[in-house]
Amino acid sequence: MAVDITLSVNGVPYPLTVDPHASLLHTVRGDVGLTGSKEGCDDSECGACMMLVDGRPVNSCSYLAVQADGSDVTTVEGLSDGETLAPLQEAFLTRGGVQCGFCTPGMLVSATALLDRSPNPSEDEIRTAVSGNLCRCTGYDGIVKAIAAVAAERAAQG
Amino acid sequence: MSVIDTPAQGSSTPERPRAFLRPDGKEKVTGLGRYTADLTFTGQLHAAFRYADHPHARIVSIDTSRAKALPGVFAVVTHEDVPDVRYGGMTQDRRLFAKEKVLWEGDVVAGVAARTVEIAREAAALVEVEYEVLSAQPDYVANMAPDAPVLHEGWAEYGADENLVRDGNVMSRYVIAKGDADAAMAGADVVVKSHYVSDASQGVPIEPRALVAQWTGDSVTVWSSTQVPFAARSGVAHTLQIPESKVRIVVPLLGGGFGSKCDFHFEAHVAILAKVTRRPVRLVFTRKEEFVAPDHRREGMDIELETGVTRDGRIVARRGRMVLDKGAYTGEGGFFAQMAAMHACGPYKLDTVRVEAFLNYSTNQPAASIRAPTAPQACWALEQHLDEVAAAIGMDPVELRRRTLVAEGDEGPAGQVFEKIGAKETLEAALELIGYDAYLRGELPDDEAVGVACGWWPCFGVPSGAYVKLNGDGTATIVTGAQENGSGSVMGLPILAAEILGMSPSDFSINYQDTDAGPWDMGSSGSQTTFNNGRAVVEAAQEVRAKLLAMGAEKLEADVADLELADGAVRVKGAPETSVTIADLAGTGEPILGKGSGEVPEAAASDASACVGSLGMESFLAPQLITHAARVKVDRDTGVVRVLDFAAAHDSGVIVNKVGADGQVYGGVMMGIGQALTEATWTDEEGRQKNPGLLDYKLQTASDGPRIQIRWIEIETPNAGPKGSKGVGEPPSVPTSGAVGNAIAKVIGRHVDKLPMTAERVWLAANSPAGEDQ
Amino acid sequence: MSTATSMTTSASSRTYVEARDVATAVAAMSAGARPIAGGTDLVVGARHGKAPLPAALVGIHRIPGLADVAPTDGGGLRLGALVTHATLMADPTVLASYPGLADASAIVGSHATRANGTLGGNVMNSSPAMDTGAPLLCHGGVAVLVGPAGERRVALADLWTGPGRSTAAPDELLVAVELDAPPADGASGSSYVRLQYRRQMEIAIVGAGAVVTLGADGTVTGAKVAITALAPVIHRVAEAEAALVGTDGGFEAAKAAGAAAAAAARPISDVRGSADYRRAMAAVITRRAVLTAVRRARGESVPVPASDTTFGS
Ligand SMILES: Cc1cc2nc3c(=O)[nH]c(=O)nc-3n(C[C@H](O)[C@H](O)[C@H](O)COP(=O)(O)OP(=O)(O)OC[C@H]3O[C@@H](n4cnc5c(N)ncnc54)[C@H](O)[C@@H]3O)c2cc1C
Ligand code: FES
Ligand code: FES
Repeated sequence: MAVDITLSVNGVPYPLTVDPHASLLHTVRGDVGLTGSKEGCDDSECGACMMLVDGRPVNSCSYLAVQADGSDVTTVEGLSDGETLAPLQEAFLTRGGVQCGFCTPGMLVSATALLDRSPNPSEDEIRTAVSGNLCRCTGYDGIVKAIAAVAAERAAQG
Repeated sequence: MSVIDTPAQGSSTPERPRAFLRPDGKEKVTGLGRYTADLTFTGQLHAAFRYADHPHARIVSIDTSRAKALPGVFAVVTHEDVPDVRYGGMTQDRRLFAKEKVLWEGDVVAGVAARTVEIAREAAALVEVEYEVLSAQPDYVANMAPDAPVLHEGWAEYGADENLVRDGNVMSRYVIAKGDADAAMAGADVVVKSHYVSDASQGVPIEPRALVAQWTGDSVTVWSSTQVPFAARSGVAHTLQIPESKVRIVVPLLGGGFGSKCDFHFEAHVAILAKVTRRPVRLVFTRKEEFVAPDHRREGMDIELETGVTRDGRIVARRGRMVLDKGAYTGEGGFFAQMAAMHACGPYKLDTVRVEAFLNYSTNQPAASIRAPTAPQACWALEQHLDEVAAAIGMDPVELRRRTLVAEGDEGPAGQVFEKIGAKETLEAALELIGYDAYLRGELPDDEAVGVACGWWPCFGVPSGAYVKLNGDGTATIVTGAQENGSGSVMGLPILAAEILGMSPSDFSINYQDTDAGPWDMGSSGSQTTFNNGRAVVEAAQEVRAKLLAMGAEKLEADVADLELADGAVRVKGAPETSVTIADLAGTGEPILGKGSGEVPEAAASDASACVGSLGMESFLAPQLITHAARVKVDRDTGVVRVLDFAAAHDSGVIVNKVGADGQVYGGVMMGIGQALTEATWTDEEGRQKNPGLLDYKLQTASDGPRIQIRWIEIETPNAGPKGSKGVGEPPSVPTSGAVGNAIAKVIGRHVDKLPMTAERVWLAANSPAGEDQ
Repeated sequence: MSTATSMTTSASSRTYVEARDVATAVAAMSAGARPIAGGTDLVVGARHGKAPLPAALVGIHRIPGLADVAPTDGGGLRLGALVTHATLMADPTVLASYPGLADASAIVGSHATRANGTLGGNVMNSSPAMDTGAPLLCHGGVAVLVGPAGERRVALADLWTGPGRSTAAPDELLVAVELDAPPADGASGSSYVRLQYRRQMEIAIVGAGAVVTLGADGTVTGAKVAITALAPVIHRVAEAEAALVGTDGGFEAAKAAGAAAAAAARPISDVRGSADYRRAMAAVITRRAVLTAVRRARGESVPVPASDTTFGS
């Protein structure tokens, strides 16, 4: 029996009717129409689908849409207005954190969750935090440097 | 020669300003870019495959009636629905849909198109296939025994490259030979023999492959996550027996490939389903399918090496016997025996050589190009073997390499005379970066050690084309057949054109990954994009430059020889105020278009007369040289290994795009470390994969990553790519496992003879009594 | 690889309700619904094809009051079933008095798994490889279950009966796990160590938890040792504990405890490791867990997670 829910995705409320087993990922990609979040595995092993649900990092491929009813969901599309890039997005580009880009949406969301929780992380903390986000292209180097640079910039700005 | 360092994580060296941002960057960080699986089409159907139910069986009958009867199913197709043709790279040994036999667990027996993915999968399960089950033959070494059943009974009748030496289950036999290795071996001071075995591993792009096919009239467009759109186009044309002009392949953003998305494969399956149903049909692989179904994995390899040396470290003879697992079909991997043999020689001075390599069929997943095919495993074996040789003559392994690495004027294994190359320079650079002296002085804890390995990889000179056309406002568009896999090689093309045209790289847009637009290109394989397509873009830009200069000369009433192109204008040298902007020249409506293909460089001459089954690879064109050094810590009690520090020194010629080149090394080294320690496809006794998922097929995570330092030995390489550049994409994973393996051996006192060097294998090696085989 | 037969239930038979209190949850469970907390086992298991998602689900993730960490009357600690691993690994009381539990939670999955995965889900999943099990057992964990007939308390040792099996009835909701008070006399320390090939995103191949209490003279006066992924259920190893009591808690004693753990192990062979290797690792990992617990009991600081800090020791 389909269930009525409301998802607030990047600040916009979407009243939806979903199958109780539908994943948050499929709902956002399909019903909401935001395809930035990627599906790399469908079982929580790659992190390409990561979204924030009420600020928590969530592998949306393995999270039921019905469980996010009434929650604030943030996807990569919500990290900036698409015109002016968020500092993390900018830093990923300038420091070699993006190659094929398939891991990038989840990686950016993961990094956002980290910096929200721990504004001044050590390199080891950064590496630990994004360990659930697999990247085959970059060797993580540019990603780790980008996150560290944004944290340092923020610290410098106080 | 110049040297550029890349500061490691945490280094205080300020980074060079990054002038160039990849044009596809913004869409990738905002999530607005479209990958194939992000496309949806009105009325689309979803495809699913019925795969083989046994790794080896004869098909007695296929009944699709129950599947077709399922509500929501629009079509079920089998071999009966497509032309009866075989395809394949150097050997045409397979069909789109299995007909007489299935030869591995991923063989496609039937395809379904249905309203939903779930219905399509359910229908695929309802296809009734009656088999006569045959014994699986996963043991690729045993398959060459004279009494082993021949897997491809009709092999002799298959179309095949005439240079291949084939015999039943041996798909290709190759011998590289120079001088009398047997006699030289008998005369050596010391002879060392080693035997190494590598398991299969996988490319694992994070994007599972996706395809959508749609027909308009009798033409089909396939959006596909392929690395090789032109190969995909000819594959569809050949297997469906339609002209190439009726097939268009478009590649949306590609989410990584590493070789595993090379070769034509699933485009025609989806196209035929779309044709039969007269609807767009979409196929997106699950992660499990991405492991099991593609005919692409890194081949298992059984490697025996024997080296004869003098006490002062001259290699008088190298013998080798290599057996490679080709799996069920050839695909584009027909050259692997030859490539593996070259890596058993390595970039070393060898007085005499005889290496024999066999590429054998089995009932395993087919092996094909994965980032530097055959090299990482062969290099891992050779480099560990060299450390054993050094130990046998009581020499530091680095010193042995110093004495034997090739330099300008030295000869390759079949007599190729090397031009300027930086093999020795990469060695010294890597040693310096890793702190080898401190290690030799005993400054590391006793559970840590430094291992060193060298390797090489050729450039592939192939034709490639590009157009450069100016827009009316003075911007430009590069139209290329080249394929971007994420490495940034296509994204870097504007740098080359901009310099020639006095424009900024950001003035260029790129039209790429569309077979109806750009000229033919080999695709994103063989690290060849900058090397070949770069030359084409340079030539196309030169043509535009000539046109602009001629137009400028007329306008400015000046001699072409006195003009230059700079800051978006044609201007008089020394008098920049006398100028006309490119926009003014381009805005007249007269098309300004350049086309280029560049001249394909050829490898140096070599002597293959003593070789068997030569495909002409005895001479490496513009070889790239690599030394990797790894500092590892071994947990002796558990066998778990962590790589703490890593140095990568590369001679890839002149580096055109530094951010892009560095990115290839960081990524390649991490992939190499994974293949060294944790990545293997484990199979049951019939060859079925036991770990087709990312929890048990273990890529390295960010927290496993070491500090990686990079140094480029920049040599303006003669007879190479633009500006003296070579490729950069594949070499970074070539010597990685060798370096890690040699480091492990120094801690535990013996070499681990199986790849990957898993914790359990390291533990076994560390704890088995000396001199005893594991 | 042939296509598996359909793992899905038909869409029309699926139901979902969200419970905002324990009674609603239990009522739904009595009517056949399966509770879902973080979903990191239930949904992921279904994606793996382990078992299809149950047709009827009741969301328990927002029931108020079940996500608290609070002292018990007896001086122990009560952990609500919805407490996440992210909370456990950072909670000051857990870090100070139950660091073995923090060792375990800190290495569960990735930070997304830890932000959503709950203690209750970990416990009720009854996996022999789950990480909080060994430290919970060593700290005297008791499950507080609420069913239609009311509340009952079951020691964790009596809860798990095999992989995915427990003595809890399908309509019993776990509301909390309670832990013993840290020993009043003498210093104690706890730890959890697992064998891991990667530093994150692992499933225990072998794991061991230990709680050690030292007398004033440094002699081990009490020891609890439990092993993970080495038998159909996580269980304590009496012989290992006996090998420690009365000793100085040094390397030899820890080694003896490790040997006892290896002897008690009933490991399997699979893609993650052979039975022989697992058995040998049982000795090593148990030894490390014991030594870490002893060091903590002595007041030394061993950073969480101990699996990282004991690498190579
Ligand atoms: C990528 C990944 C990595 C992981 N790594 C680890 C790891 O390293 N170590 C580890 O131990 N686990 C690991 N897990 C498993 C999982 O994350 C943990 O077990 C987690 O604690 C489960 O909590 P949950 O709330 O998500 O459980 P759910 O999936 O919501 O529930 C699990 C089971 O418990 C039942 N249940 C949940 N809550 C209750 C309750 N209060 N009362 C009764 N029954 C209940 C559910 O019905 C279900 O059967 C991993 C999972 C993933 C996806
Ligand atoms: S798609 Fe969700 S973790 Fe991989
Ligand atoms: S950029 Fe390709 S997977 Fe990360």
